[in-house]
Amino acid sequence: MNARHRLPLQAGAIAVLAFGVLILSVYGSLMTGGRSDIRLSDLFTASTNGAVILDIRLPRTLVAACLGVNLGLSGLILQALTRNPLSSPSILGINQGAALGLTIGVIFPSVGALVGLMPLAAIGALAAGFITFSIAGVFAGRIVSLRLILGGVAVGAFASAMVRFSFTLEDDLARQVLRWTLGNISDVRWHHVQSLFVWSIGGTVATLAMAHRLNLMALGEAQASGLGADPRLTLMIGALMSACLTGTAVFVAGPIAFAGLVVPHMCRFCLGPDHRILVPATALGGACLLMAADAASKWLTSPVELPVGVVVAMIGAPYFLYQTLFSKGAI
Amino acid sequence: MLFRQTTYSLAVGFMALLPFSVGAAEITHELGVTDVPDAPQRVIALEFSFVDALAALGVSPVGIADDKKRQRIVAEYTAVIGDDWQSVGTRKTPSLEVIASLQPDLIIADKTRHSGVYDTLSQIAPTIVLDSLGGTYPEAIEQTLVIGDALGMKGKAAERVAEHEAVMAELIAQIGNESHGVNAQFGVTNATGLWLHSPLSYNGSLLEKFGFSSSMTPQEGEVYETNYVPTTLEQLSVVDPDLLILGKYADPAFTDEWAGEALYDSLKAVEASNVYTVNAHKWSRMRGLLAAEMTANDVLEILTEFSAKQ
Repeated sequence: MNARHRLPLQAGAIAVLAFGVLILSVYGSLMTGGRSDIRLSDLFTASTNGAVILDIRLPRTLVAACLGVNLGLSGLILQALTRNPLSSPSILGINQGAALGLTIGVIFPSVGALVGLMPLAAIGALAAGFITFSIAGVFAGRIVSLRLILGGVAVGAFASAMVRFSFTLEDDLARQVLRWTLGNISDVRWHHVQSLFVWSIGGTVATLAMAHRLNLMALGEAQASGLGADPRLTLMIGALMSACLTGTAVFVAGPIAFAGLVVPHMCRFCLGPDHRILVPATALGGACLLMAADAASKWLTSPVELPVGVVVAMIGAPYFLYQTLFSKGAI
Repeated sequence: MLFRQTTYSLAVGFMALLPFSVGAAEITHELGVTDVPDAPQRVIALEFSFVDALAALGVSPVGIADDKKRQRIVAEYTAVIGDDWQSVGTRKTPSLEVIASLQPDLIIADKTRHSGVYDTLSQIAPTIVLDSLGGTYPEAIEQTLVIGDALGMKGKAAERVAEHEAVMAELIAQIGNESHGVNAQFGVTNATGLWLHSPLSYNGSLLEKFGFSSSMTPQEGEVYETNYVPTTLEQLSVVDPDLLILGKYADPAFTDEWAGEALYDSLKAVEASNVYTVNAHKWSRMRGLLAAEMTANDVLEILTEFSAKQ
């Protein structure tokens, strides 16, 4: 029996569990919000309540799902590229880099208008990733785990310090920038879905196409090139995709930490190390986590909403600690 | 015995005179009691409502936290206080160096924004801290009296407040019954969000004074949860006021994007075209006697239009 097919848990049980979690998180995300008089059946009546679901809640649920897909995949790619279980957009400073790109666009409207906010987010993410990777020696072909994490923390701290610096600017500008410091999707609409959806679908397909290369990376760069996949190419494409996925997510919602870290781990725990299974599983898992977090963000402190990033951090931070304390090797 | 009594009473008499001879008044404020010199000459105001109070009393400050934008001190104020004041930076993070360099003898600071630097400010000059950002309209009036007291103009402040109350009473008389039973809500919107000013806020309490009612549920927490409540469209639809007054800091504003959405169009105020736009700066950032009178005039205009539609 091939090791790849020996799953830690029964495949059928996992499928049922995943489906159940998916349905619950979609339902939870759709049925919570500012109004308490909204039922799912309203969707089938031509009422204002139906419009609330269609105009306000459905796009928000979809945005949450897409964010989960983007961040989960981004984390999965980064973990494969660096062969480090702690890699994720937030730990490597990529989230914060994207936020800094956006902040620059907000503070200097001319730059924002010239480049566009979404490309600025991607550029910020890419720049942060590039610096972190350089510090870790990724481009030299030898990744030092400790350097990777410390480099990421330093880059992230620097970027968020620059973002926070803008708080001292006047209130109105500070409020706009505040939006890029915490993941928040309280006021998204269909046009936000449009800008995310393409990336999520495209990202899933592209990552799936890369799954084999990611598997080879796990063997080590020497083995990967021995097997015909140039690790530098994998690294380049992977880093670019990770930056784009993170950049678009941050553009819509602001940086959401820990989603990119937790989801790939949970999937690996349930499904094993094969990226051909992990890619769709991470996409689905990320979507579920973010939709559930969205539901919790509206429900926990109702009627005041929590930023969804806070809820994800409440789930993700303890997991991060667990991972740090109990992971074997690598760190 | 007689000698001792005389000495004693003389000593008591001298001690009673002491505050006057040194020229200090004890001002009780949010963070304690501060000895303020008699009739301070070099005053620094760290919120616009304190500038309002100074203008009401005809006192020119030497420094204002004007957010580094001089035009934020509106013509109604500069007509009285002149232009000879220096900017000390933003209200949120005023420059302590500039404040010190102006050698003030009184600093008026805000509870929410400046409690953290109270000790430092107190080292520079006698500092009184008032709750401007988190205070209501009646509290803004109270604060004007406290500032008057600190400036050694207790009598004039009381007079000025009485004058203001007469003006407001007249405006409220003009409003009459028109506002009764009308649910009015003020909010500010920029490019990224909408913040409703709750009945606990300055503007909320002012609208209440004009006879309007509110359907906002009170919240607990800090100022940006209780007074200035971030609000989504769904949450706005629960408040659903008859009259929606918006101050817009951006064009297009965040709320403009809601136009055409079924839920927004079904709001009572939107359906009956009772959404009014006012000057966001004057309504939202300015508080005090003069500001309230400007607001009252706006309300009167809005209400005339509103009533004509009924």
